[in-house]
Amino acid sequence: MIKVRIPTPLRPLTKNQGEVDVAAGSVADMVDTLEASYPGIKSRLCDDSGELRRFVNIYVNEEDIRFLKGKDTVLKTGDEVSIVPAIAGG
Amino acid sequence: MTTSLAIPQHILDDMIAHARELAPHECCGLLAGTGGVVSRIYRIKNIVAMEGAQNLSSFDSAKAAHLERLSPEERAEIAFVMDMQDFSTAKKDMRNNGLDLQVVYHSHPHDPARPSVTDIKIATDYEEIWPKINLPIPAYLLISLMHATPDVRSYWIKSGEVSAAPFTVR
Repeated sequence: MIKVRIPTPLRPLTKNQGEVDVAAGSVADMVDTLEASYPGIKSRLCDDSGELRRFVNIYVNEEDIRFLKGKDTVLKTGDEVSIVPAIAGG
Repeated sequence: MTTSLAIPQHILDDMIAHARELAPHECCGLLAGTGGVVSRIYRIKNIVAMEGAQNLSSFDSAKAAHLERLSPEERAEIAFVMDMQDFSTAKKDMRNNGLDLQVVYHSHPHDPARPSVTDIKIATDYEEIWPKINLPIPAYLLISLMHATPDVRSYWIKSGEVSAAPFTVR
């Protein structure tokens, strides 16, 4: 299982859970698995072509997946994934 | 958390130049250094005018609804969203150079140099994120352009409470 940290603003979609465990072999697989359990979450993370939106980061064990293999980044049991919303303000 | 903060004059000037170049839109960026002394500025793109960014997970529903009613240009006058690709590139550069993140900055083209309600809420949400991405909790610096002379102030934002984080210029 992969531990996925969900940021506060996305928790309404995950029944207020801050961490969820998913079985997934890649980041793309993880996003689809999350979407199956928590409909609506995928569009917050990815654009229509499935690429990660520029206002979201996904870190696997503290490394941005953009510096790994993007959505094809392989996940293995014990990996920790953090979904990080953009730093923003008004 | 660093308790004292020193910013070189040329970096302060660069931040103010960044704010003026983007006005009336908000600018945003990061400062990094070691031991409370800033040595590097990273200008980050404000992508709030990008498609979809107004609904981004960082904003609460009221702010998102407000932003959604505005044109992309208008959105950039009252909000910023960091391009997280730029952010990760900056984070990597800091790590490669042994620097710590010290400041998150942005401009208020029309408003005073103090955190807005949205700034405070997002900074508070972010408190638990910084350690998870291996970064210290930064100070938040505001550049106001509402008067002829820019006003620059920095703050700590902890559990929704704002306190001044005075910096020295060297």
